[in-house]
Amino acid sequence: MATVSSPNCPSSSSSYSRITPSSPSSQLLPIRLASKQFLPKKISLRLPRYWNVLLSQDVAATSTPPASKAPLKKLKDGLLSTTSSEDSRELANFSINEKGSTVSITVVGASGDLAKKKIFPALFALYYEDCLPKHFTVFGYARSKMTDVELRDMVSRTLTCRIDKRENCSEKMDQFLKRCFYHSGQYDSEENFKELAKKMKEQEFEDVPLLMQDGRISNRLFYLSVPPNIFIDVVKCASTSASSANGWTRVIVEKPFGRDFESSAALTRSLKEYLVEDQIFRIDHYLGKELVENLSVLRFSNLIFEPLWSRQYIRNVQFIFSEDFGTEGRGGYFDNYGIIRDIMQNHLLQMLALFAMETPVTLEAEDIRNEKVKVLRSMKPLQLENMVIGQYKGHTKGGVTYPAYTDDKTVPKGSLTPTFAATALFINNARWDGVPFLMKAGKALHTKRAEIRVQFRHVPGNLYNRSFGTDLDRATNELVIRVQPDEAIYLKINNKVPGLGMRLDRSNLNLHYAARYKNEIPDAYERLLLDAIEGERRLFIRSDELDAAWSLFTPLLKEIEEKKIIPEYYPYGSRGPVGAHYLAARYNVRWGDISAAEHHHE
Amino acid sequence: MLCLLIFVAKWALGVSLAGNSPLKEPTQTKDGANQFSNLESVEPTISITVVGASGDLAKKKIFPALFALFYEDCLPKHFTIYGYARSKMTDEELREMISGTLTCRIDKRENCGDKMDQFLQRCFYNSGLYNSEENFSELDRKLKEKEVGRLANRLFYLSIPPNIFVDAVKYASSRASSASGWTRVIVEKPFGRDSDSSGELTRSFKQYLTEEQIFRIDHYLGKELVENLSVLRFSNLVFEPLWSRNYIRNVQLIFSEDFGTEGRGGYFDNYGIIRDIMQNHLLQILALFAMETPVTLDAEDIRNEKVKVLRSMRQLTLDNVIVGQYKGHTRGSKSYPAYTDDPTVPNNSLTPTFAALAIFIDNARWDGVPFLMKAGKALHTKGAEIRVQFRHVPGNLYKQNFGADLDKATNELVIRVQPDEGIYLKINNKVPGLGMRLDRSDLNLLYKARYTKEIPDAYETLLLDAIEGEHRLFIRSDELVAAWSLFTPLLKELEEKKIAPELYPYGSRGPVGAHYLAAKHNIRWGDLSDDS
Repeated sequence: MATVSSPNCPSSSSSYSRITPSSPSSQLLPIRLASKQFLPKKISLRLPRYWNVLLSQDVAATSTPPASKAPLKKLKDGLLSTTSSEDSRELANFSINEKGSTVSITVVGASGDLAKKKIFPALFALYYEDCLPKHFTVFGYARSKMTDVELRDMVSRTLTCRIDKRENCSEKMDQFLKRCFYHSGQYDSEENFKELAKKMKEQEFEDVPLLMQDGRISNRLFYLSVPPNIFIDVVKCASTSASSANGWTRVIVEKPFGRDFESSAALTRSLKEYLVEDQIFRIDHYLGKELVENLSVLRFSNLIFEPLWSRQYIRNVQFIFSEDFGTEGRGGYFDNYGIIRDIMQNHLLQMLALFAMETPVTLEAEDIRNEKVKVLRSMKPLQLENMVIGQYKGHTKGGVTYPAYTDDKTVPKGSLTPTFAATALFINNARWDGVPFLMKAGKALHTKRAEIRVQFRHVPGNLYNRSFGTDLDRATNELVIRVQPDEAIYLKINNKVPGLGMRLDRSNLNLHYAARYKNEIPDAYERLLLDAIEGERRLFIRSDELDAAWSLFTPLLKEIEEKKIIPEYYPYGSRGPVGAHYLAARYNVRWGDISAAEHHHE
Repeated sequence: MLCLLIFVAKWALGVSLAGNSPLKEPTQTKDGANQFSNLESVEPTISITVVGASGDLAKKKIFPALFALFYEDCLPKHFTIYGYARSKMTDEELREMISGTLTCRIDKRENCGDKMDQFLQRCFYNSGLYNSEENFSELDRKLKEKEVGRLANRLFYLSIPPNIFVDAVKYASSRASSASGWTRVIVEKPFGRDSDSSGELTRSFKQYLTEEQIFRIDHYLGKELVENLSVLRFSNLVFEPLWSRNYIRNVQLIFSEDFGTEGRGGYFDNYGIIRDIMQNHLLQILALFAMETPVTLDAEDIRNEKVKVLRSMRQLTLDNVIVGQYKGHTRGSKSYPAYTDDPTVPNNSLTPTFAALAIFIDNARWDGVPFLMKAGKALHTKGAEIRVQFRHVPGNLYKQNFGADLDKATNELVIRVQPDEGIYLKINNKVPGLGMRLDRSDLNLLYKARYTKEIPDAYETLLLDAIEGEHRLFIRSDELVAAWSLFTPLLKELEEKKIAPELYPYGSRGPVGAHYLAAKHNIRWGDLSDDS
């Protein structure tokens, strides 16, 4: 898909990585070649303006049924990517944007927390940035009775304007809200979804004269913000009763994608009864975070990192996630999953795969996801001895008392669910053999952060050994990519302390985002929603990726649960169980986030 | 206290030095002296004589550096400072003169007045001719009075014109060397003006001094970030793997001043920018940058490696050199003079005030990598920096995001020696936001932000090293020979062929020729690119 959004949207100027065919790469090459043969580069320039419009409409219009959609869409992509001239690209945009297509975005579970806090605000932000197609409609769908106005009222409370663009904000907000509608219905009622479809249709053509309605493509995006047990019902109803007749229909699903290999596979199988792989957008919102996106840029567009990116220079890599609060009365869902499923098996493992993958053939979604799957499948099975689990206990500090996990009313008294876990993973391939990848995730810890830490090896034959004292580990370089909060990249280097004498010191080569970039960093959901609208799958999880991720974690999770392994207790607000240190120490690693040096620097 | 720690640290670093350096005579090393003092259980004393005490350098740099060392407790407990010059002056007048330029560290203003008084009490003056045996004998007598039977070490700082170096060395060593401790002589550039004159000077020195006694100062080597260069390279894993032709596209050593000779061109005109800046300062930095890993950090090991680099350099050729000279320029209502407007400069002078050249090191590590040097006066900025431009990313996945100018997309490591000491690494980065725009950002270490302490002047570092007998930052005779053999043929050719310098306006970015020189090797000057 080329840019469906206006040229004002920051993503449309980039577009290189977004002009991407969206199908398995095995089919990619011949089709591209074919389209080049049939549509020589210059042809679109010679075409009269309306011709171009008609041509792309034709192509799109015939691409109705989901199953046959892919190859034709590719043809169109081929067409767009072969028209190198800016001119023709604009024409194509015109055709798709101005008349050709509309998108209806249905938030299923519109009254839920995620919808209110993240999805609607993200949609508004995209609208504000001119990133939504010119004609769009947002539908809220949920069981509660509500009018359009009540929905608008609810939504409007969480919308905010970008700090850097306050102008016209309320005006924009009004315009946006006018495009929001509500439909009340059951999640398993085809009837209700048919009603929704009818309303959609009204909106999809509201601005087009009857005679021209044939030419308009209506695309539909469903965002499932509902509990996992009703995923399938919704998908079934949405796809049978509310999918688009002539455009695409896509479904965004949020975690949890099952709770082990079997349940996840069953979910995928059910999804695939109604959807093809290309229609499923499994969201992992960590992949939409700015610094996770930047990871590939760092690796592949800088000469200085790639030579170091292997067992030869990297001693260990750490993926750290911590929250400084507990479940706070909302532990019902969590208790059934635990921190390993909630954070590690998805967010941290995804970051690890991106970090460790080989260079993909191109930046296209399938190429990247192919490489990620390879990494996941090269991982050594997890061992119980390489896993530390913990659960927070009550703690009184000053006059304040913090509750234990099991004090949460929604959590069973004897729950063994881990709220903390640390593990060591190994990748058995040529690049990473023997390098420990440590993961740590926990709730109710002393800080809140997510970061990647790369600890480099000791300098062989270090001339300055004597200046470092006995703790050579402190003298190694470390690259830190802080995903949140305060996005930053820094490289710890050794440095002479200015002054007479030769004292060495670790300093940071720093890139602090807040200092360098004034623009607000978009929320992960904005990026991911935009990608889904544009059909860019790079940041979504493919079925085989999910399978591989679950195969890695399932045996271990089973073992923990069957053996009823008791978590190590740690006080609320502490640095987590001591076991994590011993785990790291077994591989000669220190956690970078709780070393003395780190505190000294921050 | 602070300095004691430093002293111990340095000593720890140099433990092996005393043991296995065959060049050192035990009685002349710091360690030897310490042993001696232990035996005698008398603390040694040091007399520092600044020859040419009334000169500019002495006033601006040497005395203030000595005071700073005293202030930091870095001088031995017993020390005496002598000013020596031709002008008649009393001790009081000397103290008066010095005290005008002494300053206290910003971060330690306490007791400054007290300390200054104590310091001045130890400063004396002896008037004498630079070529008079008599006068140096007199100095010797005075020094002895202060030394009163202690183990006496003597350091002479020659802050005088080169034509009287040899005389001063001769009499200092024959009439005023220490009988019980070491005697060392610090000399400042110029060390000759070509291979022959420099060789002659060295030979003359060696009639009176051993190699170990000679401390040729190159004050750039005392600069904080130049000292840090070896630390960066050898104590970080992330740099050394990149430090070769495999990853480095070119290296640039850049020096610029934003003023001209301003009426003091007499000395300069005889030397020119190549001798004044390139053959010494920039070449020394280059040698440190490019040398192989030394066996240890001992002075001799480091200097051995530096000599190897210098000797591996390809002969400089005229087609890899650009010379320039600044011309007058009027901006707004302000007029800036041409170099030849300086009354101390001959009207038809062809002396370059700007030069740029490409150097190649024909060894396994650096074969084919251009090292560009650029130095000039009367330019638009003032600074000294090292820029390392890395190669293009092979098979760059993000190529299409960079537009046509791939050179702009390469990584660059910048070590800014002055002003505003800093290290930064330019990396490519995604511009935050939707979409995929790439951007060069800096991974930054700005010294001012990280270290609140004032960075000591290069002279402090170097004086302290000379007192401690640490030769690492001083230039050995064979280094000097190698440096001159590199530049002498080129300088001869420039002068014999009377190559006319390209004129550039005062305050400009220098002659355009420098760009063409760089372009010939597929390089852009990092300091003149848009994003700097």
